[in-house]
Amino acid sequence: MSTAREEILTALRRGERGGNSAPAPWRSRQQFDDLAARFTATLTGLHGEMIRAASADEALDRLGDVLRDLGAARVVVNDEPPLAGVDLAARWPGIAWHVVGRTEGDLRAFCAGADAGVTGADAALAETGSVTVSSGPGRSRMASLLPPVHIALVAAERLTSDILTWAAARSGDLPANVTAISGPSKTADIEQTLAIGMHGPKRVIVILYGE
Amino acid sequence: MNEVSFHTFRADAALAIANPHLQSAVDGATLKFRRDRLRALADLPDVEAMRDHFKAMRAATLANLSEHLEQFERQALAAGAHVHWARDAAEATQIVIGIARQHGARLAVKAKSMTSEEIHLNAALDEAGITPVETDLGEWIVQLAAESPAHIVVPALHKTRQQVAELFTREVGRPLSADDIPALTNEARRALRKKFLAAEIGISGANIGVAETGSIVLVTNEGNGRMVSSVPPVHVAVMGVEKVCPTWDDAAVWLELLARSSTGQPLSVYTTAITGPARDGDADGPRELHIVLYDGGRSGMLGTGYEEVLQCIRCGACLNHCPVYQEIAGQTYGHAYSGPIGAVLVPLLHGLEQYEALPHASSLCGACLEVCPARIDLPRMLLDLRAEEVARGVIAPPEQALEKSAAWLLGHRRLFGLLTDVGRVFQRPLLSKDGLRVPRRLNPAGKRRLPSLAPRSFHALWDELAAEEEAVAGAAPVKRAVRAPSRGRIAAVIGASVVPLVVLWHLLRRRGGKR
Amino acid sequence: MTDPKRVAIMVTCMVDQIMPEVGVAAVRLLRRAGYTVEFPVEQTCCGQPFFNSGFRAQAADLAKRSLDIFEPYDAVVLPGGSCAAMIRKEYPHLLERWPGGTARAEALAARTYELSEFLVHVAGWEPAPAARAPRVTYHDSCHMNRLLGLGAESRALLRAAGCEIVEMHESDRCCGFGGLFSFRIPEVSNAMTQEKVRRANTTGAEVLVSADPGCLMQMRGFAHQTGMRLAHLAVLLEELTR
Ligand code: SF4
Repeated sequence: MSTAREEILTALRRGERGGNSAPAPWRSRQQFDDLAARFTATLTGLHGEMIRAASADEALDRLGDVLRDLGAARVVVNDEPPLAGVDLAARWPGIAWHVVGRTEGDLRAFCAGADAGVTGADAALAETGSVTVSSGPGRSRMASLLPPVHIALVAAERLTSDILTWAAARSGDLPANVTAISGPSKTADIEQTLAIGMHGPKRVIVILYGE
Repeated sequence: MNEVSFHTFRADAALAIANPHLQSAVDGATLKFRRDRLRALADLPDVEAMRDHFKAMRAATLANLSEHLEQFERQALAAGAHVHWARDAAEATQIVIGIARQHGARLAVKAKSMTSEEIHLNAALDEAGITPVETDLGEWIVQLAAESPAHIVVPALHKTRQQVAELFTREVGRPLSADDIPALTNEARRALRKKFLAAEIGISGANIGVAETGSIVLVTNEGNGRMVSSVPPVHVAVMGVEKVCPTWDDAAVWLELLARSSTGQPLSVYTTAITGPARDGDADGPRELHIVLYDGGRSGMLGTGYEEVLQCIRCGACLNHCPVYQEIAGQTYGHAYSGPIGAVLVPLLHGLEQYEALPHASSLCGACLEVCPARIDLPRMLLDLRAEEVARGVIAPPEQALEKSAAWLLGHRRLFGLLTDVGRVFQRPLLSKDGLRVPRRLNPAGKRRLPSLAPRSFHALWDELAAEEEAVAGAAPVKRAVRAPSRGRIAAVIGASVVPLVVLWHLLRRRGGKR
Repeated sequence: MTDPKRVAIMVTCMVDQIMPEVGVAAVRLLRRAGYTVEFPVEQTCCGQPFFNSGFRAQAADLAKRSLDIFEPYDAVVLPGGSCAAMIRKEYPHLLERWPGGTARAEALAARTYELSEFLVHVAGWEPAPAARAPRVTYHDSCHMNRLLGLGAESRALLRAAGCEIVEMHESDRCCGFGGLFSFRIPEVSNAMTQEKVRRANTTGAEVLVSADPGCLMQMRGFAHQTGMRLAHLAVLLEELTR
């Protein structure tokens, strides 16, 4: 194995031109007047759904509305802001909750059978209508992947222009998994006909709260 | 040893052209991609400058590729990943099989990966008793049909809904209707969901490797990349060594261009950055992450005239814009890599001798260069490959003789004039209003009517044309041209020229038909 | 650009043998634009067919030959974008093998023009509108469009001459010629050509115009499948400005 490594590196070194010709980083040239408006326009264009809320509190109310409309009975929720610390069972007693990292039991099995997954978001990219979710303690990869509906609660202050500004602002280590989600899972692999909800959620609902 | 000769290529192309479903599928899909790409790129300020930047970044990375790979490896190891190096396909497949065996895996779920197609990973897994299941819908359809992809981005482009319904019916053991595509998709969702939950190992490629953090980036619309890297306990990613970039700034530009060039989306639905396996305290995720850095002939291209091809990000834009690809679709190319990028890459990976026709599967129109996000000069490389074929004798001796004598003839203007005058005599019985009427079987242009030689060449007309100016404008007389050859001289060369012409004609015909 | 008066025409081998009327029209147009046109009789072929099929040595010999023939002139004009692109883009590196070859080739390249380019940018010539001009559709030849960046010039000339231009879907899509490609893989080449002719046909134009003899020859192979006239830019312009 190490021979393969050495051989490949030696072969690469033999062919490399060397020198330092790396260009200076490309910086985003997007100028959006209203990040939230652009985010909303792009997301809805991608078959995502958008709900605005003035505050985190109102966002929870809107979440309640969505869950009621869905008739959700089993919901997995990441233990992260703005949901961390909220007494979900008290607020929505009719729902079986799995709070990631707190509720006992098989997370994967719960996610596979859940009606919805609720998460926060580290960032929202206005240009592409994307929300980014990360792995970590209390943060399940599968909560935003296996259930048929993904609800993301996003603070408006997390809005950034695009993936370039996201990368420029990033520093240090990354979580093991960071995913930018741009609308519901989709495919057009059969006769180029769009079908929503291939492997991931069929609905992505973003509740954007705050100014 | 001849995998794609002129003969097989032409035969397969003729079949593709005669297949009306394939034609409308390819036309429809590629037209949609072309339109959506334009719209998506128009949304980026200074996109042409961004492409220039991207190309410069890719070139600069290749100039010090070993360093970037070593940094990538260091960072990936620090994040807890296992890093493997594979010189060739056999080594790469053995590494993957070894990891699968170590975990007692019987079932492997796979995300869409062109590198996996390149190393024929499915066949190797099957042989090792591990069942690979493709989970990209298009790849799964192609796998169920035991075919190879028709497009590097949309593999099942060529399949009708009826064919898909038949394949799925066989797979799920229930009759499925072809009428409802979302319902068919839903069947696939259900069937593949079971596989994801049952598989002991997930296998993917990697769209990008980011050296700065040792991350790999997976991009999919369906979520198969997320699934194979999140649900099974072990994730193996096979990445070509050329896919690395130094920083996240670089990766961001790459991502800005990738989906836009490919399917015309601003970003694919899921862009996942994976940095090591699940950490302590993580709610879920794979316990192990293995990254296989695959060379497979790439190192040999560095520093050569073909180095640029390593800048490719497999977006498929060159396929969507190639008028040749649009007529024949991917399978005619005889390899998972098709279109202009395939025509260059496949002979470089597997040998010109095996794929002699591919460098010629282009009219050199330049559409690929125009749309490639990395501005890879594929036409230039096609020309270089053709020159190599001539130099290495891949082009058969009869054609070499024909072309060389034609060039020699064109270097002798009087002789050339004489021979074409002979042609004027001989073409007479074949003349029609628009070209020569040659029996189809004898026509090297196939269905196309061959052009006839004009009654008089421009050389022959020049004296009159020169006189016209003297008459009209009274301008200074212009140089006098050679006179058209007399009948006697024509007769003299007929005998000498007809015989070799007929011989060469026959050799050319055989070349098309025999191989 | 200086205004060269001693202009050589390079008719290209295809025009010479198959469509000399294109060369005749080009010469007349150049004269109408006020130039004395010379025809160096030793000319044959620019070498492009051989370059494109990988026969570099043969292409280089023909390139050298053309260089020697055309070097003495102030300007070289070709009624074909592809051959003009050959001289401009490929001669400098093909002629490397002769001492000073690249410099000479670059100097020639700087004086070499495609016809519409010369008429518009050097001669500043504009045809007077004809009393009756046809509705036309214009095919953007690949090398002319992508290597030389020309296409607007042809359209401007056609419009000035009174033509209405009806654009076809993707006018820059290849006609399928590709030199020897059209004989090596004729099935694909022909399918491309038929698609091109079909698209041109649906515009309802009377004439399908191309500024490249290669494309024209190729598309004429399927002319019997369309009611359209297929004409070279020079020929149509010459007729309209008599
Ligand atoms: S060669 Fe360019 S256009 Fe073609 S797949 Fe690669 S990156 Fe895309």
